[in-house]
Order: sequence, then structure tokens, then C-alpha cells
Amino acid sequence: MVSIFTYRDERKLFAVVGAIIVAAVVALIQLDAAKSGKPSLITIAVGSTALFVQSAAAGLGNSLRGASATLGDAPRLYARNADLTAENRSLRGENARLREALAQAPEAEAIARTAAELPGAIVATVVGFDPENLSRIVTIDRGSEAGVHRDDGVIDEDGVVGRVVDVAPLRSTVLLAIDGASKVPAVVQSGRWWGIATGTNSRIRLQYVSQDAKLHVGDAVVTGDGRSFRAGLMLGRISEVDHPEGALYQTALIEPAVAFGRISRVLVVPHDTPADEP
Amino acid sequence: MNRSDSEIARTRAFWDANKPIETGAPGYVPDPPVWWHVALALGVALGLQATLAPFIAVRGAVVSMVILVVAWYAVRTGSLRGFAFGMVAGACEDALTGATGVAWTFSTALAGALAGRLARTYLADTKLALVPGAAVVTLVRYGAFTLIMQSQGRGAALPLVQLHAALWQSALDAAVALAALWIFPALGGSGAHRR
Repeated sequence: MVSIFTYRDERKLFAVVGAIIVAAVVALIQLDAAKSGKPSLITIAVGSTALFVQSAAAGLGNSLRGASATLGDAPRLYARNADLTAENRSLRGENARLREALAQAPEAEAIARTAAELPGAIVATVVGFDPENLSRIVTIDRGSEAGVHRDDGVIDEDGVVGRVVDVAPLRSTVLLAIDGASKVPAVVQSGRWWGIATGTNSRIRLQYVSQDAKLHVGDAVVTGDGRSFRAGLMLGRISEVDHPEGALYQTALIEPAVAFGRISRVLVVPHDTPADEP
Repeated sequence: MNRSDSEIARTRAFWDANKPIETGAPGYVPDPPVWWHVALALGVALGLQATLAPFIAVRGAVVSMVILVVAWYAVRTGSLRGFAFGMVAGACEDALTGATGVAWTFSTALAGALAGRLARTYLADTKLALVPGAAVVTLVRYGAFTLIMQSQGRGAALPLVQLHAALWQSALDAAVALAALWIFPALGGSGAHRR
């Protein structure tokens, strides 16, 4: 049988010889590096390449592991998120309540201090206004059952608020001192000049003051002893004086001591309530 | 009630609501809104006004949602029902105010009757009858309120200030009525009471 010549066998031979040569070179390089105690170029190249591959593989593995763990934990995380959201909402609500309590604390404290000076006084909260806003009246949450009577005076920590004009069992109506229908006997503190304080819808006008009275801007005006108020409760301070020539009386505009735009807690003072003054 | 009965009732209501002397006026048949819509609107109006009035005032005047509800009901139902509903709404306002006796009761009843009457004039030709109606009845109500307060011995202490507020309230009411009809055209009714 005649053998047939092919290049295939020759290539195999070359491949085997090449492999042996490469293995020898690698062995020589590695042995040389081992002898010198340093990593060979081959080790460095392979190690570096392997590092990239390992990093990529580890990253992929970790991601897959994390994703599977997340998927597995999803119901628990969802419930946890719901719990935290509810807790956050609750804490926000509590925070708002605490802030409101903090904001009200000075007012409540001032009202309590004023109430302590007037043992029979009734603490009340403003709950309503004139629906048509034609008159300056407010509704408070205390009525005849709490001991409120018609014409009782109403004050807050700053001064005179008004007087009770209508009483129901559980609520009362207070005519504010700035209403045009309000009439309160008043005294200018410096000089003891008497007059009648009536409302202008936003401020108070002191009328029927004697022409010889020496009124000055900034003078304090207090209540005189009357049907609704005891003497000495602060009404406000004079902001303008009108002293017309030839008129029988002079008038003065008073800036109220009470901030009528934001009254919320007041004291109803029955007229026979003894004042515990120092 | 079958169909023919309802038609007879409707025709009867038409003739009841349109006196012979007013044959030149547009045809008018009551078109009352659902009762609980009216009650809810009145409750909301009273609650809002009694709680927020000073804070929503424009130049001292607040939009009187109460008179808007009364006028709306009266325009859709007529003078008599407008009067009755106005009386109820006014009584609620008197109760909330506490210092007006019966002034709001009767002035609002009068306003309701007037609004119902206005809806039987040429104003019935437009779905916007509520707009001029609200302006007019607001002023008339204020006038009646002042007179009744005077008769109760509680005359207005600052009449010019209050008149100024009433004029503003009249303009505000008309503006709000226009806006309400613009946004909710159904408030104007089905139009069944118009020619």
C-alpha cells in the first residue's frame, strides 16, 4: 500500500513541536522568575487578565445574588416600607401637633396667669364669627351652663375684648369693643380724663372727652368702672387726637391693646368677680 | 302617576305660576333642585361663613353664600318657596349671629321671595338670571335688615360703613354667582321653566 502524502500530518508535527517549544519557553521563563523570586511576565499578564474576568464575574454574580435576594425579600421590604411610611406620617402629624402646642403655649400660659388673678373668670374659646361680617361679634364656647351672663365683660391677656350680648346654654355671643355698637366707659390713665369708647370696626374711638383734657399720642386708655368691666382694664393707647376748635368735646383714636384679628382664647369676667390685684 | 297625569300636573303648575296679568312674561314652571343638594349647600354656606367670615372678607364684605343659595333655590322654585327657604336660612343666620333678633330671618325671607319673583320677569329668559338676581336681592336684604334692626331698637352704629360693605357684598355675590354658573352650568336648571 502506497502511503499518501498529506500536509495534515506535517502540520500536526509542527504543532506538536511548536507546543513543546512554547512549553519549554514558558517553563524557562517561569523557572527563571521563580529563581529570582519575582512574578514572571506571564504570571503578571495572566493574573491581570484573570483579575478583570474575576471582577466582572464577581460583579455579575453579586448582582444576580442581590437581585434574587431582593426578589425574595420584596414582600418583606414592601411591608417594611409601608410601616415606615405610616410611621413617618404619624411622626409628621405629631410634629405638627407639638409645634401647634408650642405656638399656643405662651397664649395659654398668659390666659392662665390672667385667670389666676380673677378667680371667678371663665376661660372660653372663640368658635365663630358673624356670618355676614356686618358686625364685629364673636361666638364663644361657654354659655349659661358655665355661668356666663349677659353683659359680662370679656378680656384676654392684653386687655378688653368686648362684652356678652347674647347667652345660650352652651354658647355666648360677644360684641367686640371695636364694633360700632359697643360703648364702654373709659379713662385716660394720665390725667384721669373720662370718655366713652366706641368702635370704628377696626379701632376704638374715645368720645366725649372734655375740651380741657390734655391728651397725648401714646397715652394709655383703660376702662372705668361700669356695668361690664371693673376699672383699670387696658383698652389701648391713643394714636390720634382730634381737638376741633369750638366743639364741646374732643375725641381720640385708640389703637386697641387686643389683636382682634387673632383672638382665640378669652376670659369671661362676671362683674362681681373680685380682682386679686397685688 | 302616569304620563298624562304628570303632564296635567305640569300644565297646572304652569298656569298656577303664571297669572293672567303676566301673560307677556316668559313661561315659568318651578324646577326645584334636589332637596338634599339645597340642604347641603345651605349647611356648607353657613358653616363656612360662621367660621371664616373675617378671614375671607374683601374690603370688609364677605361673599354671602347663604343669600346665593337662597336666591338659587328661589329662582328655580318661585316666590313662595323662596320666601320659606329664605326664612329658614335667615333664622339659622340669626341663631349663629346671636345679636340680630329676627332681622336676618325676615330680610332673607324677603330676599328669597324677591329672587323668586325676579325669575318670573324677563330675567327668566337667561340662565344667568341668578347673577343680577343675587346682586339685587343682596342689596334689598341689607336694606330690610337695617330697617328691622332699627325697629328692634338696634340701629346700625356705622350705617355708611355697613352700606359700603353691602355694596361690595352685592358685587361679590354677583361675581361668584357668575363664576358658579360658568363652572357648573347645571346649577341654572334644566331650562324647563323657560320658554
